[in-house]
Amino acid sequence: MKAVQQVPRNALAWLLVSMFALLAPHAQRVPVWVLAVYAACAVWRLQVYRGRWSFPGRPVKFGLILVACAGIWLSYGSLLGLEPTVALLLTAFALKLLELARRQDAYVLLFLAYFICITEFLFTQDLLIVLYAVVNVLLVTTALVALHQSGRQRFDWSSLRHAAVMLAQAFPLMIVLFFLFPRIGPLWTVPIKTQAAKTGVSDFMRPGDISRLSQSGEVAFRVQFEGEIPPASELYWRGLVFSRLRDGTWSSLDYYDLPPGERRPGPVATRGEPLDYSVIMMPTRQNWLYSLRYAESAQGGVMQAPDFRLFRPVEIEDQYRYRARSWPAAPLEPELSAWRRATELRLPQHGNPETRALARRLREESGSDADYIERVLAMFREQPFVYTLQPPLLGEQAMDEFLFQTRRGFCEHYAHAFTLMMRAAGVPARVVAGYQGGEINPVNRTVIVHQFDAHAWAEVWLAGEGWRRVDPTAAVSPDRIEQGLEQALAGEGSFLADSPLSAVRYRSIDWVNWLRLRYDALTYRWQSWVVGFDSDRQMDFLQRWLGQLSARTFLAVLFGGFALVLVPVALSLLRHRGRVPRDPLDRLYLALCDRLAARGLARRRGEAPGEFADRVAVALPAVGDTVRRATGLYTAQRYGPPTTQEDSRRARRALRLALRQLARRGKYRE
Amino acid sequence: MQIQGLIDRAVSEVGKVLLGKEPQIRLALCCLFARGHLLIEDLPGMGKTTLSHALADVLGLSYTRVQFTSDLLPADILGVSVYNRNDASFSFHPGPIFTQLLLADEINRATPRTQSALLEAMAEGQVTIEGETRALPEPFFVIATQNPIHQSGTYPLPESQLDRFLMRLELGYPHPRAEREMFRRKTLHGPGNQRLSRCISADQLAQIREAVAAVHASDSLLDYLQRLVAHTRESPEFEVGLSPRGALALLDSARTWAVMNSRGHVVPEDLQMVLPAVVAHRLVPSGDYAGDGMALVAQMQRNVDVIKP
Repeated sequence: MKAVQQVPRNALAWLLVSMFALLAPHAQRVPVWVLAVYAACAVWRLQVYRGRWSFPGRPVKFGLILVACAGIWLSYGSLLGLEPTVALLLTAFALKLLELARRQDAYVLLFLAYFICITEFLFTQDLLIVLYAVVNVLLVTTALVALHQSGRQRFDWSSLRHAAVMLAQAFPLMIVLFFLFPRIGPLWTVPIKTQAAKTGVSDFMRPGDISRLSQSGEVAFRVQFEGEIPPASELYWRGLVFSRLRDGTWSSLDYYDLPPGERRPGPVATRGEPLDYSVIMMPTRQNWLYSLRYAESAQGGVMQAPDFRLFRPVEIEDQYRYRARSWPAAPLEPELSAWRRATELRLPQHGNPETRALARRLREESGSDADYIERVLAMFREQPFVYTLQPPLLGEQAMDEFLFQTRRGFCEHYAHAFTLMMRAAGVPARVVAGYQGGEINPVNRTVIVHQFDAHAWAEVWLAGEGWRRVDPTAAVSPDRIEQGLEQALAGEGSFLADSPLSAVRYRSIDWVNWLRLRYDALTYRWQSWVVGFDSDRQMDFLQRWLGQLSARTFLAVLFGGFALVLVPVALSLLRHRGRVPRDPLDRLYLALCDRLAARGLARRRGEAPGEFADRVAVALPAVGDTVRRATGLYTAQRYGPPTTQEDSRRARRALRLALRQLARRGKYRE
Repeated sequence: MQIQGLIDRAVSEVGKVLLGKEPQIRLALCCLFARGHLLIEDLPGMGKTTLSHALADVLGLSYTRVQFTSDLLPADILGVSVYNRNDASFSFHPGPIFTQLLLADEINRATPRTQSALLEAMAEGQVTIEGETRALPEPFFVIATQNPIHQSGTYPLPESQLDRFLMRLELGYPHPRAEREMFRRKTLHGPGNQRLSRCISADQLAQIREAVAAVHASDSLLDYLQRLVAHTRESPEFEVGLSPRGALALLDSARTWAVMNSRGHVVPEDLQMVLPAVVAHRLVPSGDYAGDGMALVAQMQRNVDVIKP
């Protein structure tokens, strides 16, 4: 094989480094044996490099492919779907290392590496992951650069610098493409993530569901209000409405459970000041969106359910941004249809007899439905009910046990019991699930809603008024509504007890909190401007800047943008053409000369370094010795007999020291 | 170091008779160590002869002085074959050139024919008389002195001849204090030449020359040298650029200068120190350049960057 076709040692080293760097973010996701494959392939390739082992033969390679496919199939139960295909790609990438003999093999491997870098975005588009991807691109590019520097027999950092310069030059192009490249819809559907768990509030509620969610410090969504942020006690983010109680579980009605006439929401008389806000949701793999009471959204793809909540027909697999407008004071359904009334009153035939009896008794004692609501809330307030994240387990007659024996519960217990009592007394009522409150980030005034803000409350229908929100939890623990979960559970110590590393847990430490909020503000900006820059926003943006958009102007701007970036680069390349790149030592020495020139001591062109140093020593005695020593080491390097690397490093250090001293003394210049 | 001590002693020894001329003495020694011939150009009575005499003494070399005149013939320098009547054969009577150090005084007063006879001997280290080649002694140095050309009755050396001298020195008037010291000494010791003691033996001379051969000239230095040379060939102020021989002469002298300063490698300062002496007489300013060779050297030193631009 010709030397030109070989893979230089430096390139191999960088390639191995970038391979493991690419694997790292996937490491959690792939089976452990894939990691072992990486280690084994790297060792094998290194042994080949050292001449100990040889490349595998064709049958061995064939066998390895089969084994890898079988391994993926055994680990995931399928070869299709996002995770298995990515794992397969990663495994193939490692195995390809065993075929890496010539330069063209390395090309294949490196282009595959760029592709693998992208696959990470199929799972998360977090800001930190993007930064990490930049590092990976840098590493892969370094390997590509090193591949073309034949004859480098050592691991060489200069390739890294070279690659960094090239990427920095490409950066403006990236910006141009980001704004201008057409956002084309998916040409094919990526297989959905089969393994990812659904997160957030689910479409049914059993006792314990929401308290489990409250163990998580992850962000559910972020909201940016256009005007003032309403007080925390008004932030009831409605996600789901549970109208059906069956076997102790509240669940929402499916589209097809509704009679055709009930599938659209009735007209709503909007009243009062509207609230405008935009929400960026983290992927949930669910359909429903969160909004304040009576919300409308003009955005395409956002629909309204008959129980006045927003949803999206497509599951939310990526971060999703939507705008909404809410009228908190608008009356909802002042007239209730017969079907709706029956639905919202329906109870199971049996179960919780004591609760039902209590409800009937209390209703009889009350003058009106509103009075009845007050009586039930007063019961929660006055009797020794406890708000806790650790409620005792309940048996068959769950609500009877809860109301008359344990009296310890989380929001879902109270919402359940309350709604049950309403329905039992003939008052239409339902459970609403979503989030309550949220943390206001002082950095950018966004409201951050965490998973632990998950909440359930009730809605009761009153004649003439429509649906009224009633939160029985507020009666038991007003702190929960006004100050959030952490305060409400302050005495119990159970807040995020299972997430010791969550930054939210440490928000009492000032700097951790500061960092957390800063990062969150950055994330918000990232999500709204970069991740959320879809074709709508792009068109919006381009039209705002370029006016009416035609194909011609679009192309002109695209190529113009390219030219704007590439022409300066080309010009600077032309200008530096033929100029021999300067040695770092010379560069440092010339930097020193420049700095001395700034102090009025310019080296004359024909002045030898030693001579100049003597002149400096006379004019600037404070730095004279340092400059002299540095110059001495520099001239020894330049003109002396060949020296070791260590000497060259020492000379560079001495020059840097002189540069620093001059910079420092420059501040106190007389 | 050892060599430096040796040279310092030789310089101070010569300095006893030629006061206040240490740089010139050092350059003259450098020229001789680099196996080059030396041209001293100055007005009469500036100490040209004194310098060459002192150098011969200090180096312990056999020494002949030839006063060049317009009627001097080549045979007067090289020697002649004389017919011996007794054994009916020709026997060679070597001329004054068969010596280790030849002082060619006022070389520009001789005719070009005689000058070229001497210069050929200088270049080849041997003379050919009547078909027979005879080697000159080792070492063989010529120190030629020359009056400034505008004096009457002179035949100026052509450029091609000047190129054969490694260095050209000008002595110049002495410093008033040195001159005063000289007056004082002459009155004390009376007239007559003072005999100087030998400071450098033949072995030591060989040793110095070995050291010169071993001196390291780095790529950066050669770059600088080439830039200097290229400048003389490209700039419009120069009629004739530096020849490769001139460039080599510059490098050799710089190497020797480095040894004389006990350094194992050449630094740009070495080149710059020997530059005027080695280069000035080889450069011809172009017609519209006002200055002379020395001005050209200064210009070149100013304009060529020591560090690669």
